[in-house]
Amino acid sequence: MSIQVKNLIKCFDDKIVLDNLTFNVSDGETLGVVGFSGSGKSTLLKIISKLLYADEGTIETTKGSDVAMTFQYSALFDFLDVYHNIAFPLLERKEFRGRYTKDEIKQIVKEKLALVGLEGIEEKFPSELSGGMQKRVGFARAIVTNPKTILYDEPTAGLDPVSSTLIEDYIVRLKNELNAACIVVTHQMSTIKRACDNVILLYEGKIVFKGSTQEFLQGNNPYTRQFITASLDGPMEIKSAI
Amino acid sequence: MINIKSTLTYKTLAIFGHGLKDFLVTLGNVGKDFSHVAYYILRLRINLKATLEQSSRFAVDSLPITLTIVSMTSIIIAMQIAPELAKQGAEGYIGMLSALVMVRELACIMAGFAIISMIGSSFASELASMAVGEQISAMKSLKVDPIEYLVVPRFLAGVIMMPFVFILASFAGLICAGIISKVTANLSLLNYVNSLWQGLYVRDILIAMLKASFFGGTISLISCSCGYSTRGGAKEVGIATTRAVVWSFLAIAIWDYIFAAIFYL
Repeated sequence: MSIQVKNLIKCFDDKIVLDNLTFNVSDGETLGVVGFSGSGKSTLLKIISKLLYADEGTIETTKGSDVAMTFQYSALFDFLDVYHNIAFPLLERKEFRGRYTKDEIKQIVKEKLALVGLEGIEEKFPSELSGGMQKRVGFARAIVTNPKTILYDEPTAGLDPVSSTLIEDYIVRLKNELNAACIVVTHQMSTIKRACDNVILLYEGKIVFKGSTQEFLQGNNPYTRQFITASLDGPMEIKSAI
Repeated sequence: MINIKSTLTYKTLAIFGHGLKDFLVTLGNVGKDFSHVAYYILRLRINLKATLEQSSRFAVDSLPITLTIVSMTSIIIAMQIAPELAKQGAEGYIGMLSALVMVRELACIMAGFAIISMIGSSFASELASMAVGEQISAMKSLKVDPIEYLVVPRFLAGVIMMPFVFILASFAGLICAGIISKVTANLSLLNYVNSLWQGLYVRDILIAMLKASFFGGTISLISCSCGYSTRGGAKEVGIATTRAVVWSFLAIAIWDYIFAAIFYL
């Protein structure tokens, strides 16, 4: 089991953001996490990647392997070029310092860039890249240490439909190449359809649907129906989420 | 019925309360970040390349504005004091007084103010932008501690480079004071230099260099800490920068008082 979340609870002040979440993601599986804005999706990713602490519950990921995270707006270091962005953990992380020669790092960066379909852009700075290219460089940076867990925070946000399709293809490709367990937080149905094997729907911090992508898209769960049809009528009150 | 929240007393107390809360939060953040910085320095986990880059930025980039401010202050003071002392027949004290004022106080504090405005504000806004753009979170997710990578080199740059900035600023200030004394009080440069030696003590220079080092470290630490702890958006980047500048000014004024009280009281 690559990601195992058990009875996870997170509160901010008096507000319960995540309420007793339990789910598993296996190696080679992609779980889509959907829900209204403010339903705790990004908080969930930040807790799994240890950027935030959970108040209660446990999270287990594959031992001895990194948890990689990609961010909604790429979060590339704007003072470094693409090469140094991707090589950053290899150059700056304590356990990697001195492990690789300069040529080896160059080769690794080249391989990772090729994996996301970008070659020969090592010397460019993030400001010189399009949004889609920045996302892919972000992917390359996240997988540079060959993680077994990859978390995507709204990977297609702000992209045109064609670029979104490309990103979705790379999510699938990276999962297959690394046999990683992936979690994708998204609002986009195309990402769910193309990139996810299973889906959970969060509402007011709780899982109100857990199942396969097909069940999510075609089932009769009132929560998923409301979410898919983008209806204001249904069990989920939009006011409480905004 | 009177709405207590609309009274002037309440509003005044609220402003003080907000200021006090802001001060305590900043103090807490600076203390926490300093403990992390000290942890890395004591274990010699120092990124030499980044420290050199930040040192160059701290000292070299800020030098033109620092020297201009210190020189102008020195010129203005000499313009007012030199003719008066010459009138009283005390021109022999002009160099000595200039040395005392420049080395003990002016060069250090004015250089500090210039560096807060130029370097401190840029440290704060840079780290604040990184924080709101999730670059700091990205660094943490890549298991590189942002304190080690971003704050330690800037802190060391401040501690190491500020004494050199002080020396250059003092030198520039004393030269300007000598020239103005010549122009306004007709004091020959030889007499000025002879008088200057009487007010120049090695102890004063060493104390001032130590003080400069404290100033540099404090400016870097407060600026980085205010930037690093920023949450929100563009508005908060501005607030963090303002906070860094205000608290740095206050902090070096307090350090200045502590040094004066310890060494000259």
